[in-house]
Amino acid sequence: MIKVENLVKKFDDKTVLNDISFEVKDGETLAVVGFSGSGKSTILKIICGLLEKDSGTIKTSEGDIAMVFQYSALFDSLTVHDNIIFALTERKDLRKLYSSQDLDNIVREKLKLVGLEEIEDKFPSELSGGMQKRVSFARAIVTNPKTILYDEPTAGLDPISSTLIEDYIVRLKDETHASSIVVTHQMSTIQRTADKVLMLYNGKSVFQGTPQEMCEQGNEYTKQFITASLNGPMKLLTE
Amino acid sequence: MEQIRAYFKQSATYQLLQILADQLDDFFTTFGEIAIRGLMVLKCIFAGQINLKEVIEQSARFGVSSLPITISIVSMTSIIVAMQVAGEMVKQGGGNYVGLLVAMLTVRETGIIMSGFAIISMIGSSLASEIATMKVTEQIDAIRVLGVNPIRYLFVPRVLAGTLMMPPVMIVASTFGIIGGGIASTLVSELSYKAYFSSVWSGLYIYDIKVAIAKAFTYGFVIALISCTCGYIAKGGAKGVGIATTKAVVWSFVAIVILDLIFSIAFFF
Ligand SMILES: Nc1ncnc2c1ncn2[C@@H]1O[C@H](COP(=O)(O)OP(=O)(O)OP(=O)(O)O)[C@@H](O)[C@H]1O
Ligand SMILES: [Mg+2]
Repeated sequence: MIKVENLVKKFDDKTVLNDISFEVKDGETLAVVGFSGSGKSTILKIICGLLEKDSGTIKTSEGDIAMVFQYSALFDSLTVHDNIIFALTERKDLRKLYSSQDLDNIVREKLKLVGLEEIEDKFPSELSGGMQKRVSFARAIVTNPKTILYDEPTAGLDPISSTLIEDYIVRLKDETHASSIVVTHQMSTIQRTADKVLMLYNGKSVFQGTPQEMCEQGNEYTKQFITASLNGPMKLLTE
Repeated sequence: MEQIRAYFKQSATYQLLQILADQLDDFFTTFGEIAIRGLMVLKCIFAGQINLKEVIEQSARFGVSSLPITISIVSMTSIIVAMQVAGEMVKQGGGNYVGLLVAMLTVRETGIIMSGFAIISMIGSSLASEIATMKVTEQIDAIRVLGVNPIRYLFVPRVLAGTLMMPPVMIVASTFGIIGGGIASTLVSELSYKAYFSSVWSGLYIYDIKVAIAKAFTYGFVIALISCTCGYIAKGGAKGVGIATTKAVVWSFVAIVILDLIFSIAFFF
């Protein structure tokens, strides 16, 4: 469960998130959409504790919170193998629970889940952007988190890899009953993964509802988003 | 009144003051960050949260990779000093003191301070840019989200390695310095090796060596801590990495010169 109430976040004088509220139940996925700079990544970073909020309340289920970063954020001095098991070998409570044989198996299993194999000994710089994204996915879920935050998990992936990741987001949610938030710009990702959609514009919530409601009725904002029109209430350049 | 204020805000004086205020603000922020991280590092070390494998890896970086440069810089300094003074001292009848002078100077000052400068420019800058790159590419955020303490994971092995490796580096470099000074003296003057080295022994005090080792531990700690912290507080993209690296080098230089002054006052007066 993720429960956010009246969340406000300012950078200096600029209000990036203005009174945002939503709830994601166990086993549910919320898609967050909106323009570049509308505060999507900021919401995720506040939920996982990387940024401080200015006001509002946030509750999440007990257990780990995982985050798949927008630009992967793989450790470039570590191999793919060591990236994936990072939390298992470096975290105080998890260290020494696994033998190196266990760890090898975990790496192979997680890589297979994201459609990769035999890249354990490569360094992130030797992988394509899409492969890095999938490795970062594998790294995030290694601790069986109860809350999973995805920052544009399918951006920069080819349509087939995107589908693979989308399927996996759904499967993971069904198996672990985790609550997830997916930040995305792609309608396909919304359709395939989300139970609910939150749309942001200028730091405010301008739509909340199911993907179906978004497509069928929606409002001026969602219509503009779906038709990718330049005409509508949202303007790219704000003063 | 409003008009005067608006006018004042455009004036050069205001802008100059503004820049000065920003720099002062930046100075105190950085100083605070370094102090806080230092305490956190010490806390981790005393709690025994040390990854030995990492410490050894980082020690190789501090000790082995920097050695050629450190030895060259310290030796060159001693050689230059010997060349400058040996001829004249022998002429004036002070040949017996050339070794003493070079040894005292190297052990008390140049051995450690020149090693420090070499380590800052080679290792300090690379630590800062490494950690700053991790910061601006969100790798440090990733460490935190994965539940690992970045101070324990990044700072502790680097700061420990810096602290532990500085004394051996300084001792090796100083030894080369004293020997280099001897070679230079005998080349530029009538002095014999024997005369040089027997006066070296009379200039080596255990007390001086102890103080030098204490300095080395301190400078190693401070250089590694400042470099890691400047990297850690980097902001922005590639430019932020550059700023962090410069900051690490400047702050480390100034810090060890100030510490050197404090050590000199505390132990030799
Ligand atoms: N550390 C920061 N300091 C100052 N301003 C920031 C910081 N991080 C983000 N911002 C500002 O907050 C706003 C929201 O940023 P955020 O990264 O959340 O956008 P986003 O919706 O994820 O955009 P994108 O789709 O491009 O990833 C932007 O205007 C950005 O300039
Ligand atoms: Mg973003």
